[in-house]
This record gives sequence, C-alpha cells and structure tokens, in this order.
Amino acid sequence: MTPLPIPHAPFPHPGPRRRAVILILCLIACLVEALSACNARKTRDEGQGEVLTLRLKWLFNVSTAGELWALDKGGFERHGLRVLLREGGVEHNAIKEIELGRAQFGIASADQILQAAGKGADIVVLAQIFQANPLQWIYDETRFTVQDVSDLKGRCIGITYGGNDEAIFSALMERYGITDRDVRLYAVHYDYSPFWRGEVDLWPIYRNVEGVVLAEKIQANGGRAGFFDPGAAGISFVANSLVTSRLFYETQPEKVRAFTEAVTEGWYEAMAPQNLHAAVEIVRLRDPETRPELIAEQITATRQLVVQPGRPVGTIDKKAWKETAQILAAHGLLDRKPDFTRLLAGPPP
Amino acid sequence: MGTHVKPLRRILEFLLIYACGIGGLLGIKAAFRLSDYLIPSAGELLTTAAENGWRYTEAVADTAVVAVAGHGFSILLAVTVAFVGISRSFLGALTKTAAYNLQAFPVVAIAPILFIFLGDGITSRILVASLVCYFPLLLTFIGIFAQPVEDVEHFFSMTGRLTRRLALGIRVFENAGKILAVIAGSGTMAMVGSIVAEFLVATNGIGYVIRKALYQSNLAHILVSLFFIGLFSSLYISIIELMGRAVQKRLDPVEDTPA
Repeated sequence: MTPLPIPHAPFPHPGPRRRAVILILCLIACLVEALSACNARKTRDEGQGEVLTLRLKWLFNVSTAGELWALDKGGFERHGLRVLLREGGVEHNAIKEIELGRAQFGIASADQILQAAGKGADIVVLAQIFQANPLQWIYDETRFTVQDVSDLKGRCIGITYGGNDEAIFSALMERYGITDRDVRLYAVHYDYSPFWRGEVDLWPIYRNVEGVVLAEKIQANGGRAGFFDPGAAGISFVANSLVTSRLFYETQPEKVRAFTEAVTEGWYEAMAPQNLHAAVEIVRLRDPETRPELIAEQITATRQLVVQPGRPVGTIDKKAWKETAQILAAHGLLDRKPDFTRLLAGPPP
Repeated sequence: MGTHVKPLRRILEFLLIYACGIGGLLGIKAAFRLSDYLIPSAGELLTTAAENGWRYTEAVADTAVVAVAGHGFSILLAVTVAFVGISRSFLGALTKTAAYNLQAFPVVAIAPILFIFLGDGITSRILVASLVCYFPLLLTFIGIFAQPVEDVEHFFSMTGRLTRRLALGIRVFENAGKILAVIAGSGTMAMVGSIVAEFLVATNGIGYVIRKALYQSNLAHILVSLFFIGLFSSLYISIIELMGRAVQKRLDPVEDTPA
C-alpha cells in the first residue's frame, strides 16, 4: 500500500532564515514609524492639518485657565481656528513636540525655551503668559517670618535640584551674599512630609496652585501661611510662555497671530473678576478633584501673576528674559546665548 | 575558559547595542536636521561623558550597591514568602494573596508610604529595589517549591524518609539552573528598582542624576547615564552568572566534566 502524500502545512513553521527576514522586516517597520513621526512635522508645518495642537506645560489646572477659556468659550473658533489642547508634564516637553511636528504651539517655561534656543531649536516666543513667576516658598508664619532675604539665614530651605527653584535660589544667594553655611538646603521630592514635620522651614511651591492648597492645610493645623517671593527680592525669572516654530511662524503668520490673540484674550477673560464663577466651572470640568472654592482662590492668586497694571496680558518682558538667561548661564545651564530679537519676536505684525 | 570570556562578551554585546542605539538616534537627527535640544550631537555626548564620566560612575556604583542589597533582600523575601505561601494553611493563603496584591500596586504609589515611615535613606531605597524585582523570583520559588520531582521524591516517599525539608532540598537541587537564571534576570530589575527609588526620593545615585536631567530636558545626560547603567548591569549579571556556574559546578561536578 502506497502511503498517502503528506500535504504541505498551510502555514509552515518559519526556518531560521525566514525568522531573520521577519525580524528585519519588523525592525524596518519600527524605523519607518519613527521616521514618519518626524516627517509629520514638515507636512503639518505646511498647514495641511486643520486642527492645531497646543501642548500645555502641565496637566489641566488653574495654570491653563486661559487656554481652556479660549477653547470652551469659543475664542479659538472666533479666530477661525480648530484647536486641540493636550496636557503636558515632565515627559511631554512642548518644544520637543513642536520640533517633532506633533504640536504647532506649546506652553513652555522660559528656562526650557532659552535652553532649546541655545541648542539650535528654531522657535519664537509669541506671548509671556505669566508676568510674575509663580514659584515661591511657603512657610508657617506662626513659627517665623521672612520680611527680607536676610531672614532666610539659619533656615532649612527646600530645593528641587534640577528645577527652576535651584537656579532661582542660587541667584538669590549670590546676589545677597548668602553662603551654604548660612542656610541648610534640603532636596525636595514628591513627599511633603518633611515640611509638615517641621524639618524643612520653607518649601518651594507654585503660588497659584499648591500654594493655595498648602496654605489651607497650614491654616487647618492652626498655622498661618506666609510666602517668600524671590521676585519681590529682585530676581526676575520668566515662567510660562506661548511658543511656536520659526517655520510655522513664517509660513502661517495669520494663523499664528490669530492663535496668539485667542490665547491672550482667553487669559484676559478668564482672569476678569466678573468671570470668576465661569472660569471656576471651566477649570473644574478638567480638574474635578479640586473643590470649586479652592479653584476660585487659585484663580485669584493666578490673576495677580498674569494680569499686571499697565501691561497687556501676554506682554514679553525682554529685560526679565535677559536676566533669566544670565541666571541660567551662570549655573552652566545655557550652552549659547540666544538671539533675543529673533526669539522674543512676539506675534507676527 | 568559557566562564572567563562570558562577562567580556556581555559587555561587548551591550556596547554594540548601545552604539547601534546612539547611531540610530544620530542618524534620525541628521536625516531630519533635528536640533541639539531634541537629540544631542555626538560632540555634546562626548563632552557630557568627559565632564561627568567619573561623577556618573560614582553615582552608578552607589545605585549598584543599593541594587545588590535590594536583590539580596528580594531573594530572601521571595524564598520566605514562597515557603510560607505553599503551605495549605490560612496564613499561607493570606501571605500568597498579599504578595500577589503587593505586585499589583504600582511601586510609585507604595513608595511614599515607605518614605514616611522609613525616611529617605538607604533602607527605603533597598526596599523599593527589592519590591520591584522580587515578583519573578517569588513566582519561580513558588513554582519550584510546590512542584514535586516525582522520580526522586517517589523513592524517599516509598521508604518513608521524605520530610518537607528533604522535599524542598530535592526540588531546589533539581531546579538549580532555573533558579540561577531567574536570579540573574532579576538582577537587572533590582537595578531598575533602585533607580526608581532614587528617582522618587534620593539625593544620590544615577536615578537622581536622571531625574535632574529630565527636569532640564537634557537628553545628553540621560543617554550618558544609560550607558553607565547598561555597563554596570551587564557586569553585575555576568558576575551573578559566574557565581551561579560556580555553585552549579559544585553541586553537580559531573555535568561540567568534559566527556
């Protein structure tokens, strides 16, 4: 009896050579995917994408109230724009997203912008959202008070090494002749307990966000919150600003101008005292964990940082930018001094 | 001879992979003319390495000490939990459930609780490192402790000499290769664990260096840090493998004897 021929399996098991080919194809696919992400920059910068993406500096909270207002109250639409807001974070750097073509606009801190420009990123600052830096140090006034910089002597001060506060505090120490022997520096992490235990006297916070929350907690514990503002001690260090790429700026000036106007108007309206309730609602939609009355306090604190008498919202304080660059350079954080005229161009005329 | 060559081979393999990765990044940078802010130039990488090489070596050494301690502790923890967990008592079931649940929680959420009670010193770092790498060890130990080696145990069972201790001894001996492989593999995770701990709370170690670099969006510092992490990890795993081979050779000298 002749044995029946064994039929070929429909999907034969791949041999070593075939496996190698499959592996190489997979690697090529990964590479193509990575390259296409980079390539997206060009096509989107040419304005083919209808929706403009704004990558924020941080998560949705009161520090993004102006952008949220522009989105929810139709500010972008009135300027003929369709906009997608995307949350930021440590892992989402707005300038990198712009360079990769994943966003056309971004909110970034001045140190990020200056460092990027110093390393060849061709970006343009369109508006300076915060006229005063929200970074301050909180303390319990029932324990001690800080009237001026000399009151910091003998205190334990929290510093986020690598963060803005390190550069700001170092500049402060240099300016006022404070040495390492005069203060004790404590490396701040995510855990606030050293502050609550009293091991650290002054803790760095964003005045308009954590500042409000911690002040409430201090009060609940029978204390009274005080704030040390390095800006009041003469240290100008610019915070969040609106940026875009030079390419988009030059090829799509109308869109850039309209976008900048929508954002600055959004901030102006969100910070208006008569719009407080509406602004609270808008922030609360994205930040439901924070109580409305706390958001209202945060907006009030933000108003003082964004809206300053005699200055339109979004004004670029060039002197403060230069001082910020000097502070960064003094701490070895700036490779090359940027061309301020090009960088701080503001919206297209 | 082979045992002496392997560590060098591991390091060479790592160097090759690292060079390919960096080469790929620099290729993409050149192809799309990306700025140094997005991807650092080769010059910047070399400068960063030259300026910070020694500091990063010290930082990685610091991390490695924590990783080794955490790894040791995790082995101890996994053996203890597996030993208790395989028993059919209520305590055994509870221990096993607790161990599995602990793994389901992200370490970044548990770490702050540890830091409150243990402070931000070395104890917390070791504990976090061990929490990250103990689970594969635990699964292996539970699997080995609970799985009888029928061929061997049957004999002792029939002669009435099989005690729990002897059974465990047989199972460990018969699965020594598997145990050593998982111990070597979890060594990398111990390194990751100690970096996570440093990232969260410490003021030294390579995790802290990476944290600072992330704040400053400085990819050059991160890439150079990764180089040192990879180098130390390769070295550590090679050492564990060498030790493992030595132990195995001692346990079973016949297997390594050439025919």
